[in-house]
Amino acid sequence: MGFSWWRASLTDTELIDKARRGDVPAYEELVRRYESLAFRTAYLIVADTDEARDAAQDGFLRAYGALRRFRAGSEFRPWLLRIVANAARNRRRSSNRRVSLALRAAAEAPAERRNPSPEATVLAAERSALLLGAIERLSLEDRDVIVMRWFGELTEAEMAAALDCPRGTVKSRLSRAMARLRVGLPERELEALRD
Amino acid sequence: MTDLFDTGLDRELTLLGAQIAIPATPSMAPAVAVALRQRRAPSRLGLRMSRGLVLAIIATLLLVGIAAALGIALGGVRFVIGSGTPAPLPPGVAADRGLGRLVTLDEARSAVSFQIRFPAGTALGEPDHVYVSTLLPAGGRVALVYGDRPGFPADTKSRIGVLITEFRADIGPDSFEKLIQQGVRVEEVSVNGATGYWVAGGRHFYYYRNADGAVVDDTMRLVGDTLIWEEAGLTMRIEGAPSLADAQELAAALH
Repeated sequence: MGFSWWRASLTDTELIDKARRGDVPAYEELVRRYESLAFRTAYLIVADTDEARDAAQDGFLRAYGALRRFRAGSEFRPWLLRIVANAARNRRRSSNRRVSLALRAAAEAPAERRNPSPEATVLAAERSALLLGAIERLSLEDRDVIVMRWFGELTEAEMAAALDCPRGTVKSRLSRAMARLRVGLPERELEALRD
Repeated sequence: MTDLFDTGLDRELTLLGAQIAIPATPSMAPAVAVALRQRRAPSRLGLRMSRGLVLAIIATLLLVGIAAALGIALGGVRFVIGSGTPAPLPPGVAADRGLGRLVTLDEARSAVSFQIRFPAGTALGEPDHVYVSTLLPAGGRVALVYGDRPGFPADTKSRIGVLITEFRADIGPDSFEKLIQQGVRVEEVSVNGATGYWVAGGRHFYYYRNADGAVVDDTMRLVGDTLIWEEAGLTMRIEGAPSLADAQELAAALH
Protein backbone atom coordinates (compact mmCIF):
# COMPACT_ATOMS: atom_id res chain seq x y z
CA MET A 1 0.00 0.00 0.00
CA GLY A 2 2.80 2.36 0.95
CA PHE A 3 4.26 2.12 -2.54
CA SER A 4 1.22 3.42 -4.38
CA TRP A 5 3.04 6.69 -5.26
CA TRP A 6 5.84 4.62 -6.79
CA ARG A 7 3.43 2.45 -8.81
CA ALA A 8 1.71 5.58 -10.09
CA SER A 9 5.04 6.63 -11.62
CA LEU A 10 5.44 3.39 -13.60
CA THR A 11 4.56 3.13 -17.28
CA ASP A 12 1.72 0.89 -18.51
CA THR A 13 4.28 -1.58 -19.87
CA GLU A 14 6.01 -1.83 -16.50
CA LEU A 15 2.71 -2.31 -14.68
CA ILE A 16 1.53 -4.94 -17.17
CA ASP A 17 4.79 -6.79 -16.77
CA LYS A 18 4.34 -6.82 -12.99
CA ALA A 19 0.67 -7.76 -13.22
CA ARG A 20 1.55 -10.71 -15.46
CA ARG A 21 3.77 -11.97 -12.67
CA GLY A 22 0.86 -11.84 -10.23
CA ASP A 23 1.41 -8.34 -8.78
CA VAL A 24 -2.20 -7.38 -7.97
CA PRO A 25 -1.40 -3.83 -6.72
CA ALA A 26 0.24 -3.17 -10.12
CA TYR A 27 -2.96 -4.20 -11.89
CA GLU A 28 -4.98 -2.17 -9.38
CA GLU A 29 -2.97 0.87 -10.53
CA LEU A 30 -3.86 0.06 -14.14
CA VAL A 31 -7.54 -0.20 -13.17
CA ARG A 32 -7.32 3.18 -11.45
CA ARG A 33 -5.63 4.64 -14.51
CA TYR A 34 -8.28 3.43 -16.98
CA GLU A 35 -11.48 3.03 -14.94
CA SER A 36 -12.82 6.36 -16.11
CA LEU A 37 -12.26 5.54 -19.80
CA ALA A 38 -13.68 2.03 -19.32
CA PHE A 39 -16.75 3.25 -17.44
CA ARG A 40 -17.43 6.05 -19.92
CA THR A 41 -17.16 3.70 -22.91
CA ALA A 42 -19.37 1.08 -21.27
CA TYR A 43 -21.90 3.75 -20.28
CA LEU A 44 -22.15 5.02 -23.86
CA ILE A 45 -23.12 1.48 -24.88
CA VAL A 46 -25.47 0.42 -22.06
CA ALA A 47 -26.68 3.89 -20.95
CA ASP A 48 -27.15 2.69 -17.39
CA THR A 49 -24.85 3.42 -14.43
CA ASP A 50 -24.99 0.00 -12.73
CA GLU A 51 -24.72 -1.93 -15.98
CA ALA A 52 -21.78 0.24 -17.08
CA ARG A 53 -19.94 -0.31 -13.79
CA ASP A 54 -20.56 -4.08 -13.99
CA ALA A 55 -19.41 -4.20 -17.61
CA ALA A 56 -16.25 -2.20 -16.90
CA GLN A 57 -15.45 -4.32 -13.83
CA ASP A 58 -16.08 -7.49 -15.77
CA GLY A 59 -13.86 -6.15 -18.56
CA PHE A 60 -10.99 -5.51 -16.12
CA LEU A 61 -11.27 -9.03 -14.72
CA ARG A 62 -11.34 -10.58 -18.18
CA ALA A 63 -8.40 -8.43 -19.27
CA TYR A 64 -6.38 -9.64 -16.28
CA GLY A 65 -7.13 -13.22 -17.26
CA ALA A 66 -6.01 -12.48 -20.81
CA LEU A 67 -2.85 -10.51 -19.90
CA ARG A 68 -0.63 -13.37 -21.04
CA ARG A 69 -2.05 -12.95 -24.52
CA PHE A 70 -1.39 -9.20 -24.55
CA ARG A 71 1.31 -8.48 -27.15
CA ALA A 72 4.32 -6.80 -25.56
CA GLY A 73 4.90 -3.34 -26.99
CA SER A 74 1.33 -2.77 -28.17
CA GLU A 75 -0.96 -0.21 -26.55
CA PHE A 76 -2.94 -1.29 -23.51
CA ARG A 77 -5.70 1.32 -23.89
CA PRO A 78 -7.33 0.05 -27.13
CA TRP A 79 -6.78 -3.57 -26.10
CA LEU A 80 -8.67 -2.96 -22.84
CA LEU A 81 -11.35 -0.93 -24.65
CA ARG A 82 -12.11 -3.86 -26.95
CA ILE A 83 -12.66 -6.16 -23.95
CA VAL A 84 -14.76 -3.64 -21.99
CA ALA A 85 -16.91 -2.69 -25.00
CA ASN A 86 -17.55 -6.37 -25.76
CA ALA A 87 -18.58 -6.95 -22.15
CA ALA A 88 -20.93 -3.94 -22.37
CA ARG A 89 -22.48 -5.12 -25.65
CA ASN A 90 -23.03 -8.59 -24.17
CA ARG A 91 -24.83 -7.02 -21.23
CA ARG A 92 -26.98 -4.88 -23.53
CA ARG A 93 -27.83 -7.96 -25.57
CA SER A 94 -28.75 -10.07 -22.54
CA SER A 95 -30.79 -7.30 -20.88
CA ASN A 96 -32.76 -7.11 -24.13
CA ARG A 97 -33.98 -3.59 -23.47
CA ARG A 98 -33.45 -0.42 -25.41
CA VAL A 99 -32.03 2.35 -23.25
CA SER A 100 -31.29 5.95 -24.16
CA LEU A 101 -28.58 8.37 -23.20
CA ALA A 102 -29.80 11.40 -21.27
CA LEU A 103 -28.95 15.07 -21.59
CA ARG A 104 -27.61 17.19 -18.78
CA ALA A 105 -29.89 19.85 -17.29
CA ALA A 106 -29.97 23.12 -19.30
CA ALA A 107 -28.17 24.99 -16.50
CA GLU A 108 -25.18 22.69 -16.94
CA ALA A 109 -25.04 23.12 -20.71
CA PRO A 110 -21.64 23.95 -22.21
CA ALA A 111 -20.77 27.64 -22.73
CA GLU A 112 -21.30 27.39 -26.52
CA ARG A 113 -24.86 26.24 -25.86
CA ARG A 114 -25.73 28.95 -23.37
CA ASN A 115 -27.72 31.64 -25.13
CA PRO A 116 -28.46 35.15 -24.02
CA SER A 117 -32.21 34.75 -24.36
CA PRO A 118 -34.32 32.09 -22.60
CA GLU A 119 -36.11 31.41 -25.89
CA ALA A 120 -32.85 30.61 -27.67
CA THR A 121 -31.80 28.36 -24.78
CA VAL A 122 -35.06 26.42 -25.03
CA LEU A 123 -34.69 26.07 -28.80
CA ALA A 124 -31.11 24.85 -28.47
CA ALA A 125 -32.14 22.27 -25.87
CA GLU A 126 -34.98 21.14 -28.11
CA ARG A 127 -32.58 20.73 -31.02
CA SER A 128 -30.24 18.63 -28.87
CA ALA A 129 -33.11 16.41 -27.76
CA LEU A 130 -34.25 15.96 -31.38
CA LEU A 131 -30.76 15.04 -32.52
CA LEU A 132 -30.23 12.62 -29.63
CA GLY A 133 -33.63 11.07 -30.37
CA ALA A 134 -32.64 10.55 -34.00
CA ILE A 135 -29.37 8.89 -32.91
CA GLU A 136 -31.19 6.56 -30.54
CA ARG A 137 -33.56 5.51 -33.31
CA LEU A 138 -30.67 4.26 -35.47
CA SER A 139 -29.66 0.60 -35.56
CA LEU A 140 -27.35 -0.30 -32.66
CA GLU A 141 -24.43 -0.59 -35.07
CA ASP A 142 -24.97 2.93 -36.46
CA ARG A 143 -25.74 4.36 -33.03
CA ASP A 144 -22.54 2.96 -31.53
CA VAL A 145 -20.23 4.34 -34.21
CA ILE A 146 -21.72 7.86 -33.91
CA VAL A 147 -21.75 7.75 -30.11
CA MET A 148 -18.11 6.57 -29.98
CA ARG A 149 -16.97 9.21 -32.48
CA TRP A 150 -18.79 12.20 -31.05
CA PHE A 151 -19.36 11.40 -27.38
CA GLY A 152 -16.56 8.97 -26.63
CA GLU A 153 -13.57 11.18 -27.37
CA LEU A 154 -11.75 8.19 -28.80
CA THR A 155 -9.02 8.04 -31.42
CA GLU A 156 -9.62 6.09 -34.63
CA ALA A 157 -7.62 3.13 -33.31
CA GLU A 158 -9.59 3.19 -30.06
CA MET A 159 -12.87 3.45 -31.97
CA ALA A 160 -11.90 0.40 -34.02
CA ALA A 161 -11.16 -1.46 -30.77
CA ALA A 162 -14.38 -0.36 -29.06
CA LEU A 163 -16.44 -1.22 -32.14
CA ASP A 164 -14.52 -4.46 -32.63
CA CYS A 165 -13.87 -3.79 -36.30
CA PRO A 166 -10.75 -3.25 -38.43
CA ARG A 167 -9.34 0.26 -38.28
CA GLY A 168 -9.87 0.70 -42.01
CA THR A 169 -13.64 0.25 -41.77
CA VAL A 170 -14.26 2.84 -39.03
CA LYS A 171 -14.50 5.73 -41.51
CA SER A 172 -16.85 3.93 -43.90
CA ARG A 173 -19.05 2.78 -41.01
CA LEU A 174 -19.18 6.32 -39.68
CA SER A 175 -19.98 7.74 -43.09
CA ARG A 176 -22.88 5.30 -43.61
CA ALA A 177 -24.20 5.94 -40.10
CA MET A 178 -24.07 9.74 -40.62
CA ALA A 179 -26.00 9.38 -43.88
CA ARG A 180 -28.71 7.38 -42.13
CA LEU A 181 -28.78 9.89 -39.26
CA ARG A 182 -29.47 12.70 -41.75
CA VAL A 183 -32.36 10.70 -43.20
CA GLY A 184 -33.77 10.11 -39.72
CA LEU A 185 -33.64 13.74 -38.62
CA PRO A 186 -36.93 15.61 -38.51
CA GLU A 187 -37.28 18.31 -41.19
CA ARG A 188 -37.35 21.10 -38.58
CA GLU A 189 -33.97 19.96 -37.26
CA LEU A 190 -32.53 19.88 -40.77
CA GLU A 191 -33.66 23.46 -41.29
CA ALA A 192 -32.10 24.53 -38.00
CA LEU A 193 -28.84 22.93 -39.02
CA ARG A 194 -28.87 24.71 -42.35
CA ASP A 195 -29.34 28.11 -40.64
CA MET B 1 -24.63 23.00 -49.59
CA THR B 2 -23.65 19.50 -48.54
CA ASP B 3 -20.46 20.83 -46.97
CA LEU B 4 -22.37 23.48 -45.10
CA PHE B 5 -24.87 20.91 -43.97
CA ASP B 6 -22.15 18.49 -42.86
CA THR B 7 -20.37 21.24 -40.95
CA GLY B 8 -23.67 22.05 -39.23
CA LEU B 9 -24.27 18.45 -38.24
CA ASP B 10 -20.67 18.05 -37.08
CA ARG B 11 -21.01 21.17 -34.94
CA GLU B 12 -24.33 20.01 -33.50
CA LEU B 13 -22.90 16.59 -32.64
CA THR B 14 -19.87 18.16 -30.97
CA LEU B 15 -22.15 20.35 -28.85
CA LEU B 16 -24.41 17.41 -28.12
CA GLY B 17 -21.42 15.37 -26.95
CA ALA B 18 -20.69 17.98 -24.30
CA GLN B 19 -24.29 17.79 -23.09
CA ILE B 20 -24.54 14.05 -22.60
CA ALA B 21 -24.99 13.37 -18.90
CA ILE B 22 -22.35 10.78 -18.05
CA PRO B 23 -22.37 9.83 -14.34
CA ALA B 24 -19.22 10.13 -12.23
CA THR B 25 -16.95 7.08 -12.52
CA PRO B 26 -17.40 4.75 -9.55
CA SER B 27 -14.23 3.39 -7.96
CA MET B 28 -13.66 -0.14 -9.24
CA ALA B 29 -10.05 -0.85 -8.29
CA PRO B 30 -10.74 -2.21 -4.74
CA ALA B 31 -13.40 -4.74 -5.86
CA VAL B 32 -11.24 -5.88 -8.81
CA ALA B 33 -8.22 -6.28 -6.49
CA VAL B 34 -10.25 -8.34 -3.99
CA ALA B 35 -11.38 -10.69 -6.76
CA LEU B 36 -7.86 -10.99 -8.13
CA ARG B 37 -6.26 -11.71 -4.75
CA GLN B 38 -8.41 -14.81 -4.56
CA ARG B 39 -6.71 -16.07 -7.69
CA ARG B 40 -3.66 -18.05 -6.61
CA ALA B 41 -0.73 -17.53 -8.96
CA PRO B 42 1.24 -20.77 -9.26
CA SER B 43 4.72 -20.22 -7.89
CA ARG B 44 7.77 -21.95 -9.32
CA LEU B 45 8.03 -23.93 -6.07
CA GLY B 46 4.39 -24.94 -6.37
CA LEU B 47 5.00 -26.04 -9.95
CA ARG B 48 7.97 -28.15 -8.91
CA MET B 49 5.93 -29.68 -6.08
CA SER B 50 3.08 -30.44 -8.48
CA ARG B 51 5.47 -32.15 -10.86
CA GLY B 52 6.95 -34.06 -7.94
CA LEU B 53 3.50 -35.11 -6.79
CA VAL B 54 2.57 -36.29 -10.29
CA LEU B 55 5.78 -38.34 -10.53
CA ALA B 56 5.13 -39.83 -7.07
CA ILE B 57 1.58 -40.80 -8.04
CA ILE B 58 2.79 -42.37 -11.31
CA ALA B 59 5.48 -44.31 -9.42
CA THR B 60 2.92 -45.47 -6.82
CA LEU B 61 0.46 -46.59 -9.48
CA LEU B 62 3.24 -48.47 -11.29
CA LEU B 63 4.22 -50.23 -8.06
CA VAL B 64 0.60 -51.15 -7.35
CA GLY B 65 0.24 -52.45 -10.93
CA ILE B 66 3.43 -54.48 -10.67
CA ALA B 67 2.37 -55.83 -7.26
CA ALA B 68 -1.02 -56.84 -8.65
CA ALA B 69 0.63 -58.43 -11.71
CA LEU B 70 2.99 -60.37 -9.45
CA GLY B 71 0.20 -61.35 -7.10
CA ILE B 72 1.71 -59.54 -4.10
CA ALA B 73 -0.89 -59.07 -1.44
CA LEU B 74 -1.56 -55.53 -0.43
CA GLY B 75 -4.37 -56.43 1.96
CA GLY B 76 -5.38 -53.82 4.48
CA VAL B 77 -3.42 -51.05 2.77
CA ARG B 78 -5.51 -48.28 1.26
CA PHE B 79 -4.01 -45.56 -0.90
CA VAL B 80 -5.83 -42.31 -0.46
CA ILE B 81 -5.00 -39.41 -2.73
CA GLY B 82 -6.39 -36.35 -0.97
CA SER B 83 -7.90 -33.55 -3.01
CA GLY B 84 -6.11 -30.91 -0.87
CA THR B 85 -7.32 -27.33 -0.65
CA PRO B 86 -9.56 -26.53 -3.59
CA ALA B 87 -8.30 -23.82 -5.92
CA PRO B 88 -10.14 -20.49 -5.46
CA LEU B 89 -12.72 -19.66 -8.05
CA PRO B 90 -11.14 -17.51 -10.78
CA PRO B 91 -12.64 -14.03 -11.06
CA GLY B 92 -15.21 -13.41 -13.72
CA VAL B 93 -16.62 -16.96 -13.92
CA ALA B 94 -19.99 -15.86 -12.56
CA ALA B 95 -19.96 -12.45 -14.23
CA ASP B 96 -22.32 -13.36 -17.05
CA ARG B 97 -24.99 -14.96 -14.88
CA GLY B 98 -26.91 -11.79 -14.22
CA LEU B 99 -26.03 -11.74 -10.54
CA GLY B 100 -25.29 -8.01 -10.45
CA ARG B 101 -22.00 -6.40 -9.62
CA LEU B 102 -19.00 -7.92 -7.93
CA VAL B 103 -18.51 -6.39 -4.48
CA THR B 104 -16.69 -6.93 -1.21
CA LEU B 105 -18.61 -8.40 1.74
CA ASP B 106 -18.76 -5.00 3.44
CA GLU B 107 -20.11 -3.38 0.29
CA ALA B 108 -22.74 -6.12 0.02
CA ARG B 109 -23.81 -5.59 3.63
CA SER B 110 -24.39 -1.89 3.08
CA ALA B 111 -26.06 -2.34 -0.33
CA VAL B 112 -28.98 -4.55 0.72
CA SER B 113 -31.79 -3.81 3.17
CA PHE B 114 -31.55 -7.11 5.06
CA GLN B 115 -28.99 -8.98 7.10
CA ILE B 116 -27.06 -11.35 4.86
CA ARG B 117 -26.93 -14.94 6.09
CA PHE B 118 -23.89 -17.16 5.64
CA PRO B 119 -23.63 -20.94 6.00
CA ALA B 120 -21.72 -21.14 9.28
CA GLY B 121 -19.56 -24.15 10.12
CA THR B 122 -19.99 -25.92 6.79
CA ALA B 123 -17.48 -27.06 4.18
CA LEU B 124 -18.33 -23.98 2.12
CA GLY B 125 -16.39 -21.53 4.32
CA GLU B 126 -16.11 -18.02 2.94
CA PRO B 127 -17.69 -17.28 -0.45
CA ASP B 128 -15.24 -16.86 -3.34
CA HIS B 129 -17.23 -14.01 -4.80
CA VAL B 130 -20.10 -11.83 -3.63
CA TYR B 131 -22.46 -10.16 -6.10
CA VAL B 132 -25.12 -7.57 -5.43
CA SER B 133 -27.99 -6.37 -7.57
CA THR B 134 -29.79 -3.23 -6.54
CA LEU B 135 -31.98 -2.99 -9.64
CA LEU B 136 -34.33 -5.83 -8.78
CA PRO B 137 -35.92 -6.83 -6.49
CA ALA B 138 -36.70 -3.99 -4.06
CA GLY B 139 -34.27 -4.09 -1.14
CA GLY B 140 -31.56 -5.66 -3.27
CA ARG B 141 -30.36 -9.18 -3.87
CA VAL B 142 -27.10 -10.75 -2.79
CA ALA B 143 -25.46 -13.79 -4.38
CA LEU B 144 -22.75 -15.80 -2.60
CA VAL B 145 -20.65 -17.78 -5.07
CA TYR B 146 -18.62 -20.80 -3.93
CA GLY B 147 -16.21 -22.73 -6.11
CA ASP B 148 -15.23 -26.36 -5.65
CA ARG B 149 -15.61 -27.49 -2.02
CA PRO B 150 -15.34 -30.88 -0.26
CA GLY B 151 -18.72 -32.53 -0.71
CA PHE B 152 -19.86 -29.80 -3.09
CA PRO B 153 -18.01 -30.48 -6.34
CA ALA B 154 -17.99 -27.66 -8.87
CA ASP B 155 -19.89 -28.06 -12.10
CA THR B 156 -17.24 -28.68 -14.77
CA LYS B 157 -18.76 -26.12 -17.10
CA SER B 158 -19.65 -23.23 -14.77
CA ARG B 159 -16.85 -24.05 -12.24
CA ILE B 160 -19.32 -23.08 -9.52
CA GLY B 161 -19.97 -25.46 -6.64
CA VAL B 162 -22.79 -23.71 -4.83
CA LEU B 163 -24.67 -20.49 -5.37
CA ILE B 164 -26.71 -18.99 -2.53
CA THR B 165 -29.03 -16.10 -3.38
CA GLU B 166 -30.92 -14.01 -0.82
CA PHE B 167 -33.57 -11.34 -1.42
CA ARG B 168 -36.84 -10.05 -0.01
CA ALA B 169 -39.75 -11.66 -1.81
CA ASP B 170 -42.89 -13.73 -1.39
CA ILE B 171 -42.99 -17.12 -3.00
CA GLY B 172 -45.71 -19.72 -2.99
CA PRO B 173 -46.84 -22.79 -4.92
CA ASP B 174 -48.17 -20.52 -7.71
CA SER B 175 -44.63 -19.20 -8.29
CA PHE B 176 -43.75 -22.55 -9.84
CA GLU B 177 -47.01 -23.13 -11.70
CA LYS B 178 -45.44 -22.85 -15.13
CA LEU B 179 -42.63 -25.22 -14.21
CA ILE B 180 -45.03 -27.85 -12.99
CA GLN B 181 -47.11 -27.46 -16.17
CA GLN B 182 -43.93 -28.04 -18.16
CA GLY B 183 -43.37 -31.30 -16.34
CA VAL B 184 -40.54 -30.11 -14.09
CA ARG B 185 -40.48 -31.85 -10.74
CA VAL B 186 -41.19 -29.35 -7.96
CA GLU B 187 -41.36 -30.98 -4.57
CA GLU B 188 -42.76 -29.27 -1.48
CA VAL B 189 -40.27 -29.81 1.35
CA SER B 190 -39.62 -28.60 4.87
CA VAL B 191 -36.76 -26.17 5.34
CA ASN B 192 -35.97 -24.99 8.87
CA GLY B 193 -39.63 -25.56 9.74
CA ALA B 194 -40.88 -23.49 6.79
CA THR B 195 -42.27 -24.65 3.47
CA GLY B 196 -39.71 -24.80 0.70
CA TYR B 197 -39.54 -26.11 -2.84
CA TRP B 198 -37.03 -28.50 -4.34
CA VAL B 199 -36.81 -27.93 -8.10
CA ALA B 200 -34.99 -30.75 -9.80
CA GLY B 201 -32.86 -30.27 -12.89
CA GLY B 202 -32.61 -27.81 -15.73
CA ARG B 203 -32.49 -24.06 -16.10
CA HIS B 204 -35.93 -22.88 -15.15
CA PHE B 205 -37.95 -19.74 -14.89
CA TYR B 206 -40.30 -18.92 -12.06
CA TYR B 207 -41.65 -15.76 -10.52
CA TYR B 208 -42.02 -14.12 -7.13
CA ARG B 209 -43.56 -11.02 -5.59
CA ASN B 210 -40.95 -8.62 -4.30
CA ALA B 211 -41.23 -6.33 -1.27
CA ASP B 212 -43.20 -3.78 -3.33
CA GLY B 213 -45.72 -6.43 -4.34
CA ALA B 214 -44.52 -6.40 -7.95
CA VAL B 215 -44.28 -9.70 -9.79
CA VAL B 216 -40.72 -10.42 -10.91
CA ASP B 217 -39.76 -13.13 -13.37
CA ASP B 218 -36.56 -14.83 -12.37
CA THR B 219 -34.46 -17.72 -13.43
CA MET B 220 -32.29 -20.25 -11.65
CA ARG B 221 -28.70 -19.17 -12.35
CA LEU B 222 -27.16 -22.64 -12.50
CA VAL B 223 -28.15 -25.77 -14.31
CA GLY B 224 -28.99 -28.14 -11.50
CA ASP B 225 -31.21 -28.77 -8.53
CA THR B 226 -32.42 -25.85 -6.48
CA LEU B 227 -33.85 -25.44 -3.01
CA ILE B 228 -35.89 -22.27 -2.56
CA TRP B 229 -37.77 -21.16 0.51
CA GLU B 230 -38.94 -18.13 2.43
CA GLU B 231 -37.98 -17.48 6.01
CA ALA B 232 -38.77 -14.36 8.07
CA GLY B 233 -39.54 -12.33 4.95
CA LEU B 234 -36.34 -13.33 3.22
CA THR B 235 -36.33 -15.66 0.23
CA MET B 236 -33.28 -17.86 -0.08
CA ARG B 237 -32.18 -20.07 -2.92
CA ILE B 238 -29.46 -22.71 -2.84
CA GLU B 239 -28.32 -23.96 -6.23
CA GLY B 240 -25.75 -26.64 -6.89
CA ALA B 241 -26.04 -28.78 -3.74
CA PRO B 242 -25.62 -32.46 -4.75
CA SER B 243 -28.81 -33.59 -2.97
CA LEU B 244 -31.86 -32.27 -1.14
CA ALA B 245 -30.33 -33.41 2.17
CA ASP B 246 -27.14 -31.42 1.43
CA ALA B 247 -29.18 -28.36 0.51
CA GLN B 248 -31.28 -28.70 3.68
CA GLU B 249 -28.10 -29.01 5.75
CA LEU B 250 -26.76 -25.80 4.22
CA ALA B 251 -30.12 -24.10 4.79
CA ALA B 252 -30.01 -25.05 8.47
CA ALA B 253 -26.52 -23.56 8.77
CA LEU B 254 -27.50 -20.17 7.32
CA HIS B 255 -27.13 -17.52 10.03
